[in-house]
Amino acid sequence: MTALTIDRINKRYGNLHILKDISIPIAQGEFVSLLGPSGCGKTTTLRCIAGFERPDDGRILFGNRDVTRALPEQRDIGMVFQSYALFPHMTVAENLSFGLEVRKVSVPDRQRRIADVLAMVRLEGYDKRYPRELSGGQQQRVALARALVIEPSVLLLDEPLANLDATLRDEMRFFIRDLQQRVGITSIYVTHDQAEAMVMSDKIVVMSAGAISQFGSPREIYERPASQSVAGFIGRSNTISGRIAEALGPDSYKVDTPCGSIGTTGPAGLAKGAEVKIMIRPENIDTRREGAGRPTSEGKAGADENVLAGSVVNSVYQGSANQLAVKLASGDRVIVDVSGRNPLDIGEQVALRFAARDSWVLAS
Amino acid sequence: MSATEAAPRLESRGNSRSATWMVVPALVLLIGFFALPYLTIITMSLREASTRAVYGDGFTLAHYTTALGDFYIWGILGRTLLIGATVTVISLLLGYPVAYHLAKSRSRWTSLLYIFVLSPLLVGLVVRTFAWMIILSNNGVANQALKAAGLIDFPLQLMNNWLGVTIALTHVFLPFIILPLLGNLQAISPDLAMASRSLGASRMRTFWKVTLPLSMPGIQAGTILVFVLSISAYVTPAMLGGTGGRTMSVLVVQYLVDNFRWPAGAALAIIMAAVAVIFVGLYLRLTARAMRRLP
Amino acid sequence: MTSSSSGVEKTIWDRMFTALVAAIYIFLMFPIVLVVLLSFNSGEFLAFPLEGFSLRWFEALFSNKRFLDATLYSIQIAATSTIVNGVIGTLAAIYVARHATAFRDYIRLIMTAPLLVPEILTAIALLFYFYEIRIGTDYSIGIQIGHIVVTFPYVFLNVSSALFNFDRSQEEAARSLGAGGWMTFRRVTLPAIKPGIITGCLFAFVISFDIFNISLLLKSLGKNTLPLELFDYLRFNFDPTAAAIASLSIFMTFAAILIIDRTVGLRSLRF
Repeated sequence: MTALTIDRINKRYGNLHILKDISIPIAQGEFVSLLGPSGCGKTTTLRCIAGFERPDDGRILFGNRDVTRALPEQRDIGMVFQSYALFPHMTVAENLSFGLEVRKVSVPDRQRRIADVLAMVRLEGYDKRYPRELSGGQQQRVALARALVIEPSVLLLDEPLANLDATLRDEMRFFIRDLQQRVGITSIYVTHDQAEAMVMSDKIVVMSAGAISQFGSPREIYERPASQSVAGFIGRSNTISGRIAEALGPDSYKVDTPCGSIGTTGPAGLAKGAEVKIMIRPENIDTRREGAGRPTSEGKAGADENVLAGSVVNSVYQGSANQLAVKLASGDRVIVDVSGRNPLDIGEQVALRFAARDSWVLAS
Repeated sequence: MSATEAAPRLESRGNSRSATWMVVPALVLLIGFFALPYLTIITMSLREASTRAVYGDGFTLAHYTTALGDFYIWGILGRTLLIGATVTVISLLLGYPVAYHLAKSRSRWTSLLYIFVLSPLLVGLVVRTFAWMIILSNNGVANQALKAAGLIDFPLQLMNNWLGVTIALTHVFLPFIILPLLGNLQAISPDLAMASRSLGASRMRTFWKVTLPLSMPGIQAGTILVFVLSISAYVTPAMLGGTGGRTMSVLVVQYLVDNFRWPAGAALAIIMAAVAVIFVGLYLRLTARAMRRLP
Repeated sequence: MTSSSSGVEKTIWDRMFTALVAAIYIFLMFPIVLVVLLSFNSGEFLAFPLEGFSLRWFEALFSNKRFLDATLYSIQIAATSTIVNGVIGTLAAIYVARHATAFRDYIRLIMTAPLLVPEILTAIALLFYFYEIRIGTDYSIGIQIGHIVVTFPYVFLNVSSALFNFDRSQEEAARSLGAGGWMTFRRVTLPAIKPGIITGCLFAFVISFDIFNISLLLKSLGKNTLPLELFDYLRFNFDPTAAAIASLSIFMTFAAILIIDRTVGLRSLRF
């Protein structure tokens, strides 16, 4: 069942088209991230869901209830802000009590629920403190507790970790995800940090320039990106330009490139002769010295394995691995990861191998 | 009104002695012609009166005892405080919406509206009070309009009484409450109101429970400023007040300039200042409760 | 109360609130607009209806020697206050921002004190004091010093504010490039704080031009500033010539506001 439906919403400011036909179905209990660079429309989308902005057209449904025109306070949402937005003149307990008072929850119930939620965010005994007496991480957890204690139908999080330092941020990712799964609340999370979106989300909505570039699970987004910009935004990627030579199956193709023909997977329905780019993640490329191990030859592509020849032009030591830049015969540069125990020097000839299922065609 | 924040302290204290000359002229001015003169108000108030000179030879507390035993002076003091309190309350009621609106406004007219707020402050007091004389006099603009609307047959007495003084003073000092409030309201993160709304509070409830409590410092600063300014105002009550709107300042100036009773006038001035200090002190204690929780 | 421009529809309360705020803005501006309107009105009385455009009241004003003298006297005093404060206020602000150590807060307090106490009390204090130190009010020196004292904080505060917002690493960069203290001040610091100085000086000029209480108590016999002259005139006359004087003062104020708004922006004002 969809807990939340965003149905073709648009938003314009003057002649600026901020949101273009945004549609997102979100299932009950799902954790969905809106991911993109600043100005891509992710925060505006969240504000439309919260009711602080009203879309020019389109609908927003909570369950079957159309809330497009409802005020924020009528929507039954919980929201966590980047600034935490804790009320500075209220204690932790009063902050938590605020939403319950609005809902006219009885005093004993209030106290019980506040105690429960404080235990949940591991802040027992902090109820009499003022926000200014808490650390950033503690304030963050109070903000989370305040949004959860009212048991809203949707939890909205607007870059809640952006103001924390790196170590705490990593810790809080898992804390929030764990809490969300225990409570089972449908959550929408706005972030510009792709690693954050990858580890926390059930689904990711990649946005750019006011439109959705891709909507899918983290695995789909990473392994089957819909476009070069998605591939570039999430993780590191290499691309090689080419032209579809033939379709080998419903989702597998042979592509002619300046380095020879390459077997690869890709989205269904690409026409023969179409200009495309092939994406390969650096960690999926196996790099050997030319001549070492199995024999190689340029552009000799089997149905499931490709081999490309090149020479090392740069090498960066990164501790767990070396990152190499390899120049192919075509002149394209490819980034690959190799084990730190097997250093390759600049100028060495290498063979790059990757499986057809590890490469993906990006339609241009 | 709002003193600027302290600049970061300097590590280069080594040359601070050689730089002392920079502050000397200002200190000479403000100690020599501001701090010391204030002391002479006190000494003057203790001088004996004299008919031949500004003051006599000896010292006395008589000016205080006479003033404090005089019902007429008590009456004027009471009227002054009443006018001050009324002006302060009305200024707050009128100034808050404007400050709130200006703080939230993102339109391109904002800077024009800001000029609207600021300009009355910079136009001279005599000019502004004169404008109110045009409006409030017996055949002035206000009475003309009321008559034209058929609401009155005979002109209302709008000036030469406390009413006229109160109206004009409210206009004169309104910017002094808007500006500190504006600074305060702009410093409150808009996220707080959004958080309140997201928790289910209506806009009204959000205002009463979040915005208003957080704007207490601005309210406090602005109301004190307006109160002190309006009980010590001279020009407006002198021009608009007549005898029915005479305030302490007018009385003091009358003692000094018309009656040439400097020691007695000094004592009145000190009584006025002391009453102001007492009221502001009480007010601070009262509002301290509301401010206790603020960071 | 208002939802500002969040795109959420305006309710009836929003409209009422907007109407209330608009009414207050009108309340703020109406008297000033009224004076200007009536000063250009050809009618004999300070009342409606307007009878037509005329400059006759300005002619009356400029043919009146007392008003002309008063205007020149006001300009003279305001200009002197501005120049004196422009120098000593700027120096003091730099000292407090850059060099003051032990007594910084006290120095700052006394520098702003003339703003914190009622002007009428300062006027009374100076009246007594000048008598006691035998300066008296026979010459312009008393009223002039009074104006300087009362307008001093405007220059001090605006320059302090400019200094506070000025990134000191620019000075350090100049020093690292070999510039001496004076050259650094003249080429780096001074240009950066110039807007603050200009604002403070304009402010000091306008305030000094308008000050009443100080002038009333400290003026020497027969020498009136423009506000005093207007005040005296209104005791016995109530005609559009007074509106012309008032308009003149209003134009001057708005010229200053316009200059400040165009050069440094009004919101940087400190008072």
